[in-house]
Amino acid sequence: MHGKFDDLGRFADPSLLILTSLSDGPKHGYAIMTDVAAFSGVSMEPGTLYGALSRLERRGWVRPLAAAERRRPYEITAAGQEILAEQVKTMQQIVRVARLRTAMAWRA
Amino acid sequence: MRPGLAGRLSRFLVGCHPRRWRERYGEEMLDVLDQHHATARTVASLWASAVSAQLDPAYRTDRLSLSRLRRAALISAAVAAPLALVLAPLGYRMWQDSYWHPAADEPLETAAFSPHTGIMVTAFGEAIDGTDMVWDVTDLSRPRRLSQIEGGQPVALSPDGRTVATIAYSGQPVLWNVADPRHPVKMTTLSDGDGSQLEELAFSPDGQILATARYDKIFLWDMASPARPRLLRTLDAPVTSPAGGGPIPFSQQDLVFSPGGTILASATGTDQVTLWNVTDPARAYRLAAIGGAGDFIQAFAFSPRGNLLAAMTYHGTVLVYSLANPVRPARTATVRGLLTRAVFPSGSPQPSETPLCATCDGLGNYAVAFTPDGHTLTVVVDREEISANSGRDTIFDWPVTGSGTLGTVTAAARDVADFQPVIAPGDRTVLGSPPGSHAWHAWPLP
Repeated sequence: MHGKFDDLGRFADPSLLILTSLSDGPKHGYAIMTDVAAFSGVSMEPGTLYGALSRLERRGWVRPLAAAERRRPYEITAAGQEILAEQVKTMQQIVRVARLRTAMAWRA
Repeated sequence: MRPGLAGRLSRFLVGCHPRRWRERYGEEMLDVLDQHHATARTVASLWASAVSAQLDPAYRTDRLSLSRLRRAALISAAVAAPLALVLAPLGYRMWQDSYWHPAADEPLETAAFSPHTGIMVTAFGEAIDGTDMVWDVTDLSRPRRLSQIEGGQPVALSPDGRTVATIAYSGQPVLWNVADPRHPVKMTTLSDGDGSQLEELAFSPDGQILATARYDKIFLWDMASPARPRLLRTLDAPVTSPAGGGPIPFSQQDLVFSPGGTILASATGTDQVTLWNVTDPARAYRLAAIGGAGDFIQAFAFSPRGNLLAAMTYHGTVLVYSLANPVRPARTATVRGLLTRAVFPSGSPQPSETPLCATCDGLGNYAVAFTPDGHTLTVVVDREEISANSGRDTIFDWPVTGSGTLGTVTAAARDVADFQPVIAPGDRTVLGSPPGSHAWHAWPLP
């Protein structure tokens, strides 16, 4: 991970998954966990989820919405979308280089 | 790690976060834990989260704390937590060994069914040493045990098969979420401010009301939100001596809702069934009291249409009442002497037997039910004998008319010892287990 995500430390990867999950609409905690498991296969535990959510909220990348009973949905902010786009771009660059280099390795 | 233990540790660790953190995220995290299958990974992640939040300057609130003290406390917690993770399962096991035994030698006390979901919950033993087991009985001849929870007699299962009401070790009614029947999660303990023995639990047919009975009171709970039941009404149901005099054998509160859910019947005290109008549970009121002819009523059942109530007394008398006018129930049938016609473990009846006294225990255990079409009344009697504890089952069947009169009885015996027989709804199967056995068996009625 690069850039602003560096500050997130061990929560960088979960944060990326959470931002990705919220990019198609607001979700509450358990819905994020099931969505992340569905699209990435990563089984995120509640401690990790809320550790990352609290950091994302503090940075203004996600925003809590009004709670319905004990469930509080979160939505991604414009700043969050921006940082997610940056991260995706970085990852695409990594994927491109990796593909290139592994292809070269096979040829060699 | 046992799922129950992981869930408890997880909830404990949520409480280990700083106050400000808990105020902000505590409730939603508990909500997630209610839905999440907690494992050792969950515990580890919450422990890491708690330590991390304690170290996070954003959640420091206490002005009075000394930084050194805080640091020492945090280090101690960080050292103690892994130790607790290791020691907690051992402690839990020791606690279980001391107080809660999975009823290894207790016979089946009762069973609760959710016919539409095929889920059944059985109760073995009482709270202090009891176990409730959740089963898949889609095919009763091939039951599958799904899970086991701390509980005992009494037990009730909501009609949708998602909530078990049972008794906690503390004696309080407790609710378990069994929406995932393999992983029950304890939801809440009901506090009614009454310390007497919890006798019985029953869900209304629509699952919206839970009735809990103690020694001389019945509590009606709104179950719209099963995690947070709301007490709607407390009914006084005094325990009385039999009409013919004599001592009270023992306290008993049995509860059954009518099939339409508008009437709650309770066996209050020794010789009466009280009918309550629970159409508006917040304003429930007593409709009538049905006399048990001076004998303690031990089992009773509504007919499928709810127009009849059949009751079985302690000394073996069957009573049928018409509820055409529930304010004035009319007795339509009385059959005495079932106890002396039921066979003992030896296979023989004792027609000359005279029950010793009103307080004598060990006469017999009964199950009462109508067939789903309402045309037959069935009573299963299991004779008890001190030397053999439990005998063969004797089955009595009567044709029932719509007005509540009984035709000619047919009797049959089955060479099974059921201790407390239970008639499963619908498919006419009897469940029971011999004394000293944790297993139960099922056999079809003739």
